[in-house]
Amino acid sequence: MSAGTPPLPNPPAKPQVKSLHCPQCGAAITLRSFQQAVTVVCDSCHSVLDAKDPTLKILQQFQAVTSELPPMIPLGTRGKLRGTDYEVIGFQRRSIESDGVRYDWHEYLLFNPYKGFRYLSEYQGHWNDITVCKDLPILQTGIVPSANYLGEIYRHFQTADATTGYVIGEFPWQVRVGERATVTDYVRPPRVLSCEQGSSETTWSVGEYTYPQEIWKAFNLSGQPPEPVGVFENQPAPATVSLKQAWLAFLLLTAFLLGLMAFNDMVASKDPVFSANYQLAPGAPKGEASFVTDVFELKGRTSNVEIKTAANVSNSWIYLNYALINQDTGKAWDFGREVSYYSGRDSDGSWTEGSRSDTVIVPSVPPGHYYLRIEPEADARHPQISYSVLIRRDVPVFKFYGYALLALFLPVLYVTFKSISFERARWSESDHPILQTESD
Amino acid sequence: MTQPIANCPNCGAKIVFQWSSSVQTVCTYCKSILVRTDVDLKKVGQVADLPPDSSPIQLNTEGIYRNKAFVVAGRILYEYEQGGWNEWHIVMNDGASAWLSDAQDEYAISFAVPNQTLPAANQIQVGQQCTWNNQTFTVTVITEAHYKGVEGELPFQYWDKTDVTFVDLRSQTGKFATLDYSDEQPALYLGEFVEFDDLKLKNLRRFEGWS
Amino acid sequence: MFSPLYLLYGFFVLGCVGMAEYRGWSMDAMNEVKNVPRSIRDNPGAYRGIYSSYHHYTGGK
Repeated sequence: MSAGTPPLPNPPAKPQVKSLHCPQCGAAITLRSFQQAVTVVCDSCHSVLDAKDPTLKILQQFQAVTSELPPMIPLGTRGKLRGTDYEVIGFQRRSIESDGVRYDWHEYLLFNPYKGFRYLSEYQGHWNDITVCKDLPILQTGIVPSANYLGEIYRHFQTADATTGYVIGEFPWQVRVGERATVTDYVRPPRVLSCEQGSSETTWSVGEYTYPQEIWKAFNLSGQPPEPVGVFENQPAPATVSLKQAWLAFLLLTAFLLGLMAFNDMVASKDPVFSANYQLAPGAPKGEASFVTDVFELKGRTSNVEIKTAANVSNSWIYLNYALINQDTGKAWDFGREVSYYSGRDSDGSWTEGSRSDTVIVPSVPPGHYYLRIEPEADARHPQISYSVLIRRDVPVFKFYGYALLALFLPVLYVTFKSISFERARWSESDHPILQTESD
Repeated sequence: MTQPIANCPNCGAKIVFQWSSSVQTVCTYCKSILVRTDVDLKKVGQVADLPPDSSPIQLNTEGIYRNKAFVVAGRILYEYEQGGWNEWHIVMNDGASAWLSDAQDEYAISFAVPNQTLPAANQIQVGQQCTWNNQTFTVTVITEAHYKGVEGELPFQYWDKTDVTFVDLRSQTGKFATLDYSDEQPALYLGEFVEFDDLKLKNLRRFEGWS
Repeated sequence: MFSPLYLLYGFFVLGCVGMAEYRGWSMDAMNEVKNVPRSIRDNPGAYRGIYSSYHHYTGGK
């Protein structure tokens, strides 16, 4: 070493400290701080200390500057993150302006002498655990610009100019109020890649979304953390479900459903057990309108009975009161069916309403000997109507498969809708609103 | 350290202030309320404090880089407008000199690489790319800094307190480069970022309150 | 695999459909009537079906 080289600078000077005690009686005193004011009361003689005391003035000035924005994690707090102890040594508030609205967020500097620095950022209750990148991400342009960091693609979320509004404690470089940087964020939930461009420096850092409860637990903070508002840029989607797997499960179940339907169609006997044609004479009925059919046998297990009614009505209707009666047990199913058909022309063209046939399913009919009692009704001025009745035993009911498909579909629809609206909320705050959905 | 320590004016016990500019604390022994009178209150809320020298490395710290042992022989403390950093002069066990740069606990080891084409100081810009030894580097920081102090053994004798330009570059694979414009002939150092744990450092400085 | 709850639910739905088809359930409106006498075959007009049980005591003492 040549002469004239300066020695290492001295360690920082020890702080100058004065103690506060009551000038009247010298006893211990109590400090009360309320918002911006600090008052001092003596515990023994209860006199209130003169605010002009220079030492007290220091406290009051300090309180005036720091009470407005107390950090949620007080400076000097120690906590354990990812297995390492850190101390909070700095705090700053930064803001961006978008459409005339100022958005503030807060940054905490964490320090461990052997592990270095970490940052915690907090915005509307959302927290991120951030470190500086050693490797440089590779930028890729496109419809939506992106960045490739350690093999993973992050999508551009927002570029904005950030200004520091408030800073206390220590930072590795001398942060000043008014300091500006252009901040560009790329997201790949739960991580975010941030590029900060200052006047002489560009720094990349990577953050990981952290739930408020973890922060409170790590730093042993009292009370409840504030509830996060809205969806944050790199907030992970609620961990319930992967959309891909949801739809896969749905398709699998639908395949089974179709298989079941095909099987059902194959094994159902669809046995026609009765068929007949009838005429309903025009005008009011002469005598008893009701009649009974021949007896027919329903075989096999207890299953359904399909009754199909067809009638050649034109702009009129026929109503059939049916009773399916078990000859031996006296049990009957009683129901009425209408067949009506109307057609015509109007300014929009020709139209039709109704149908010339009707089908009804009688449920759970035990095997046995049965007959139908039929009582037809029609409009008083109806023409002659020909109608037929066809009875089939054990038919598949396709309606149930429709309902089942709906039942299978609804949960998947709900989950998909929730995911889409979550992603819409996420991207609504970005430079690229609405367009994006998260890919797995 | 970052939590300033002093002695209670009443009873002499050790007192600690919670953070760098905190003006108030209570003595745990005599319960007096203690106020710091040397904090510049105009700066609180406006300007951050600089952490005091907080490097865990000291002279005679030993470590391993790429399977070669080294020992810390000297130190240069640099200061610039917004902060400072350390350049530790390390000597490898085969006698080679290298630099362990220590900035806010981000560490890099680099070796002097002579005879390369280097851009002039007034031509260099942040974001610019340079290639040496088939590696492409991007300029990340340009700093005007000066020596704040030296310690131990250094490979050169000359030094000056005027501001000098330093340019930091990074590659996409964790490689690191520095251009040092303190001499008429700019000097290039090539190296890479290293993790504190990978250096397996021994004989580190002890910090009160930290294990 | 995706929520086992959903698969369980799905197979339950399939089970219900299978049961419905096997047992011959229906969703059409029906009234069940008991004790229809054999004499209705000869006299269909005497049928009174709208009551759920056929023989009520409708007389006096």
